Amino acid sequence: MRAKVLLIDDDADFRVAVKSLLESHGYAVLEAASGHEGLQMVREQKPDAILLDIMMETTTEGYGVTHSLKYRDEYAEFRHIPVFMISSITESPDERFPMSAEVEMIRPDGYLSKPLDIPELLRVLEKTVGATKGAVVR
Amino acid sequence: MSESVPAPMLVVIDDDYAMRLSCAKILAKMGLRAEVFEDGARGLNGVGTCKPDMVIVDLKMPGLSGMEVISRVHEIDPQIVIVVITGYATIDTAVQAMKCGAYDFLPKPFSPDELRLIVNRGLERRRLALESQRHEIEQTMLKRRFVTFVSHQLRTPLAAVHQYLDVLKHLDQAGDAAVRRQEWLSRCLIRIEELQQLIADWLTLARVEGGSLSHERINVDLNQIIAGILKSYEQTAAAENVFLEAYLPDEALFVPGDRNCLNVLFDNLIANGIKYNKPGGKVTISGAKSRGEVVVAVADTGIGIPEKYRPFLFEEFFRAKDEGTKRTAGTGLGLHICKRIVSEMGGTIDVESQAGAGSTFRVRLPAWREPDTVGSQCDAERQANIDSR
Repeated sequence: MRAKVLLIDDDADFRVAVKSLLESHGYAVLEAASGHEGLQMVREQKPDAILLDIMMETTTEGYGVTHSLKYRDEYAEFRHIPVFMISSITESPDERFPMSAEVEMIRPDGYLSKPLDIPELLRVLEKTVGATKGAVVR
Repeated sequence: MSESVPAPMLVVIDDDYAMRLSCAKILAKMGLRAEVFEDGARGLNGVGTCKPDMVIVDLKMPGLSGMEVISRVHEIDPQIVIVVITGYATIDTAVQAMKCGAYDFLPKPFSPDELRLIVNRGLERRRLALESQRHEIEQTMLKRRFVTFVSHQLRTPLAAVHQYLDVLKHLDQAGDAAVRRQEWLSRCLIRIEELQQLIADWLTLARVEGGSLSHERINVDLNQIIAGILKSYEQTAAAENVFLEAYLPDEALFVPGDRNCLNVLFDNLIANGIKYNKPGGKVTISGAKSRGEVVVAVADTGIGIPEKYRPFLFEEFFRAKDEGTKRTAGTGLGLHICKRIVSEMGGTIDVESQAGAGSTFRVRLPAWREPDTVGSQCDAERQANIDSR
């Protein structure tokens, strides 16, 4: 059974590129263009790993999504799914944004900067879920 | 005042018992909170713990002098308003206290009314100081956020292009890329164009914000500007199957302004009219002079703007997100730039729209007014101005 990776990002081009990459490495890829759509997909499809953009549209919606997944009771059954936050913001003159305090506070399972480094992405996913799973691990 | 906001807090420092007592009584009657202290050292301690809005301090006390108290209070919080009480009011001591940072002084003996007056004035001053401090903090945060935000906007298309090329290279090694190459390269070009447009828009915005407009007011004929833009969009419009039509008067539509900025303004509006249209749709530009104003309307028969988006339409980086717009490239700066240009020129821009049926953007700019010495071709216009008064 192929491992399912959910890619939540508002940039369609970015999704197309990453989806092709991961599919060529044996992953099944689900796409969502917003945080809202992403959460819905988590409930319906129970992915094995989530790649989540921090800044969608003009807000840092990704924080809210991670927060829901990791802390809200209604998502308790999905709490074990690893969440990797991705963003093109790596540093900024405003030190509250987003690498430091907020990412640390929310504690995703990892942070990857955009554009994604292909070997790093494949390594991280292989380590957490692997492209194919023998049995569903709970 | 709402109940949750506590009454302003005052600290009174005076070695004279009767003075402390009467001040406390008057302040309590005003509905204020007050703490009284008998010398400078205790008073400063009190300021540290009470965090008052205002301090009333006697200049002449044993121990710490009033002058010292003033500077130490401002070390705790420079926004605390200080009023000094002085028993031998000379201009010199008052001036000296003000130089040390006191807001005002109250010569002894003073009436309850005098105290009330000066306290009210001082508290108003405190309120304004805090408000402007808050405003300044908000402005700084906004600026910082803006830089973060713009850098994100610039990086987004770059990241997409980078990711496409990197994945393409990766898949090429697996001999797996041929089918995607053409399509992805086209997408890369589109995203690079988006980036170029964003930079161009941002520079325009910087130019408008820099106020270079206000120095450069020449007499510009909007008829000419609009005709030029329409010409430049003929092919684009035909490709999108959108008709362009113009109803412009024979006489020139003169406005005082900057030619480049006016070009950007109407270029943005007309481009939007085409971009957010439907096949077979229309963009109608009409212009007229009325009552000292030039009014230009750009109307389209396109997708329209849902009411919920309209209040944000002119804000920077705002883009309506729905089925109709998601396939259309845009920087979210175009209408913001339009708004800035129009306001710089002392005009207004507004929009009427019906979702699904189209939008009309209406620009009103002050008309060019010839200096009085210039000849008769402007008489009609001047007459119109007089009539409208």
